[in-house]
Amino acid sequence: MNIVQARILAAGLLLGAALPAMAHHGTSVTYDTSKTIVVEGTVTEWAFTFPHSQIYFDVTGTDGKVAHWGTELAPSPTMMRNLKLGWGRDSIKPGDKLKLTCNPHRVAGATACLSKEIVINGKLMPLNEAQVKP
Amino acid sequence: MLLASKTARHASLNAAAAFVLVLLQPLAVAQAAVPDTQVVIPKSRAPGPGDSPEAKGPRPANPRDLTGKWNRVTEFQSYGAVKGGANEFQNEILDAQNNNRQPDLSQAKARIKGLKYVEAVFTPAGKAAFDKNRPGYGLRIGPPRLGNDPQGNCDPWGVPRMLNGQVAGPHATWEIIQEKDRMWWYVPWHHEVRMVWMDGRKLPTLDEVDPVWNGYSVGHWEGNTLVINSMGFNEKTWLDHNGYPHTFDMKLEERYRLLDANTLELTMTLTDPEYYAEPFKSDVKIWKRDTINNKAWDENAYCVASEEGRFNRLIRDGEVGK
Repeated sequence: MNIVQARILAAGLLLGAALPAMAHHGTSVTYDTSKTIVVEGTVTEWAFTFPHSQIYFDVTGTDGKVAHWGTELAPSPTMMRNLKLGWGRDSIKPGDKLKLTCNPHRVAGATACLSKEIVINGKLMPLNEAQVKP
Repeated sequence: MLLASKTARHASLNAAAAFVLVLLQPLAVAQAAVPDTQVVIPKSRAPGPGDSPEAKGPRPANPRDLTGKWNRVTEFQSYGAVKGGANEFQNEILDAQNNNRQPDLSQAKARIKGLKYVEAVFTPAGKAAFDKNRPGYGLRIGPPRLGNDPQGNCDPWGVPRMLNGQVAGPHATWEIIQEKDRMWWYVPWHHEVRMVWMDGRKLPTLDEVDPVWNGYSVGHWEGNTLVINSMGFNEKTWLDHNGYPHTFDMKLEERYRLLDANTLELTMTLTDPEYYAEPFKSDVKIWKRDTINNKAWDENAYCVASEEGRFNRLIRDGEVGK
């Protein structure tokens, strides 16, 4: 798996989504919600805990070095369950292939980010109603 | 001053320091751009029983039965602000920071009619204690790794913070369980069960008690208004998410009444003369009964220190790969 280079979106594109997220969890002070990056890796742990579910995963760089990453999912486990799409403690397993779009951490070099879109083994796992396909 | 000293302590974290400096600038602008920051709390805003209009919902079967789960519907009020001011200014500060521009607090003011930031009337000791608290919300917002909010360790919120949670979901909700001689406030997320004696006893004196998280409380009815007086709070809790401090000498009066079967009103008066030069009178806070259990997503959810600590360290502090 390779690190896919950061894609910098136009400032303000995600503004509408950023402010409510901040209001609930203070995420904007931790992450730069005006930017997104895409990372791909192999899942090592799925922490389905309230209120901040987390995925930990390993990312192999182009130089062959493995970096350990983590991401938080904004919706709580119960909110994810309410999407009725199979989110649960078994929905992600170690070894699964993850393609993640997320807001980067404000600390330079930190390998943690805020999930915006999660694809597990090629399947989109929606994080909100807007990502649920009709 | 506060942020500058933090920067010095964390000088090795270049990115963190840079962020703090970015944050510092809008804060300076924020203070300069709001000319009314130093005015005292307007007397006209001081609420009292009967100030709010009567609701027009169904009459309660028993106006002295407050049992139920209640969700706050009025805006958060900080102990230094009215009408959610700190929240709105915080949004503008973060938005400006994300977009590399100067904050325009007039925009935040325009979004909420009558919005005004009103700083608490500190004593010098109160201001010094306030400056030591580094919140993750409000005008002094900073990243959790540089903060010291006790809720980061899942410490109890204590009273009155548990009565006036700032953010959404379980933070703005509590449940009242009522029996003949005692009433209970149940706040699952911070493990809090707060007990109020209703058996006619008097409050102890400060010499008779040890400090506890939720204080000692006794209540009585004045007509259909429940009046609760409390004291004996430990000094570890903050009054709210914005880091307002208090001493062991703090006293609190809460006044509750049902406006209709599904609407509960609360006003509070807080006195702590060592830290605040005058009593703080809250706005009129309104709660709605959770009749459809629509907040069930927080049911039996607890802030667990080991889980929250690991999450904060690895994810929020960004140390996962180290």
